[in-house]
Amino acid sequence: MKRKLIEHGMSIAFVTAVLLCILCMERAGTQAGIDRENAASRQYGDLGFVDVSDPFHKALLKDAVNIFYPGQFEKNNAAVESILANREDEFSRKLRKSNVEERLSWEKCGLLLGMFVKFVLVYAVVMLLTYYGVQTLAVFRFARKKLRARASKTTFPGVVLLIVKTVGKTAAYFVLFSPAYVIAYSIRTEFNTDTVIFMALLGVISNGLLVTYANKFYAFLVAESRKGYVETAVVKNLAASYSPRASDGIPYGSMFRPIKHFRGHVFEHIFSNAQHQYLSTIKEQASFLITGLIIIEMALNIHGHLSYEMLRQMLYKNWDIVIVIILGIFYTVKGTEIVVDYLGYRAEKRIENK
Amino acid sequence: MFKQLIIKKDSRWLGIWLLGILAAGIWDNLFLNKPALRQVAAGFVNTFSIALLVVIFTLLLAWGVTLALHFLDAGKNKAPYLLLTFLLNLIRSIPQIVGILFGYVAVSVLVQAGFLRSEAVIFPLLAFCISLFVFIEFVDLMRERIAHYQKLDFYNAMRVCGIPEGRVINFDILWKNSRIHILNKLISVFGAAIFLQCSVDFIISVGLSTDVNSVTLPATMGSLLAKIDSKQDILAIGYALTHPGYVGNLFFEHLLGLSVAFLIVFSLMSIYHIANGYAERHRL
Repeated sequence: MKRKLIEHGMSIAFVTAVLLCILCMERAGTQAGIDRENAASRQYGDLGFVDVSDPFHKALLKDAVNIFYPGQFEKNNAAVESILANREDEFSRKLRKSNVEERLSWEKCGLLLGMFVKFVLVYAVVMLLTYYGVQTLAVFRFARKKLRARASKTTFPGVVLLIVKTVGKTAAYFVLFSPAYVIAYSIRTEFNTDTVIFMALLGVISNGLLVTYANKFYAFLVAESRKGYVETAVVKNLAASYSPRASDGIPYGSMFRPIKHFRGHVFEHIFSNAQHQYLSTIKEQASFLITGLIIIEMALNIHGHLSYEMLRQMLYKNWDIVIVIILGIFYTVKGTEIVVDYLGYRAEKRIENK
Repeated sequence: MFKQLIIKKDSRWLGIWLLGILAAGIWDNLFLNKPALRQVAAGFVNTFSIALLVVIFTLLLAWGVTLALHFLDAGKNKAPYLLLTFLLNLIRSIPQIVGILFGYVAVSVLVQAGFLRSEAVIFPLLAFCISLFVFIEFVDLMRERIAHYQKLDFYNAMRVCGIPEGRVINFDILWKNSRIHILNKLISVFGAAIFLQCSVDFIISVGLSTDVNSVTLPATMGSLLAKIDSKQDILAIGYALTHPGYVGNLFFEHLLGLSVAFLIVFSLMSIYHIANGYAERHRL
């Protein structure tokens, strides 16, 4: 664990240092550009008092320069014209960019922090919901598969029921595999899709996240159920029925409970071993989940959210703010990795009786 | 033969996918206007070409990095191994979409500056950006396979027989004994590439449209979906949900957006089922 923590710490330090270097270079570059633009006008001192739109001020400046630098009338006039043109350009550029150009300030950092906290909260909620959803779907599918395998004869449902089931299943798959923006735009006219609750819901059900990771968990359950200890446990009379109604089966209540336990049933061990193996997949799931949330915020242009803010600042080339946001997202991923590694370490200790 | 194909889940879904695309193509040919049809066709071909390139790059990158890690790990000087592992973990910690988004922006800046003109160069570059953030999982898989076989007797037996380590790793472990796993992962990578590509293109077209527009990057299904016409078509689905009588109009009047969305979602779903079926058939 210590080695892993050192590795995480090093990568956090490395990325922070690199991004802060880029931030400083970007700020220095911007400042150098401003200095370059002002260099020409600085040779005549502070000209802040000159109103470039006033012809009297312009004429007065030209006369003053000609008195200070006599004998180079043409050169002086050209220099003053250039300075005035630059100042006009600068003024109109500032006016044009007044609502888009932002610099990193303490006030902006405070706003970004608020967005970051919101992002992390949504991420934590979606992570918990998907964790629950993944396990519940996988357990449900596993129990159903086991029940079907044990059924002595197959009963065919009626045609209508079959059609309804097929249509329902296809529709569910279409929703689960739809990218978030397709679902959101499809219902945008009827519902407000810019709320945090909707965003969290979309994070859970869209982008194929739930179904992909439920399948992974299911694969762990299947692999685990094929191991020898399961057969031994069944031979030794541990409950092994998967019927939800049987006294030695798995009731629906156990399947849908947030913290799942199947005491006295062989599935308790299959489940807990699969859960342990799944820990290594959580890092991957977390990264994919963050990708999904970023897609949702960016694609749906949800104002006041971290990823949308990043896209906006990228558009306006406010790179210092973009760097800070990236750093925040990176810390979130790293934080998750550290938590998962710690949980894995604890589970390992428990299994190996350390 | 046909029955065999139907029984196998992966073959069945491959058939369903191809038939679905064919059906959508025929329907679009009949009812979608020609300029829009050309756009959908170009978007479809571009998207799948880039996704295919992603698969190829991912395989090459992963194979190369796996071998590098394996031989560096066996060497006396551990510094290069630790450095490479550190870099890989760093890439792992960057959310895919963020990395790919910056890659795409860099490519579009190069296009705007006139350094890149031909699609023959742009496509591989875009594909490389995606594969750079996808290939790590592949490396993990290959490393797992090598570690698994290294524990078995046959690895040591082959080494004792004088067979070079490179051949044992490349041919006997990765090719002869892991190609099913590799192929299964490649199918998943193909699906992930389509999803990521469409999402990034959509985001870029919606969020950065004034700067990095569809002129600078090739049209894909993601950028097509972000067009105002397509978005209106998708918005019509919501209207049809509350006005069921309008559903019929979707298939004639809102075909552009609906076709693109269908192609994306249907492809993602089918590819998932193909990968899943393949894994089930080979008990992976």
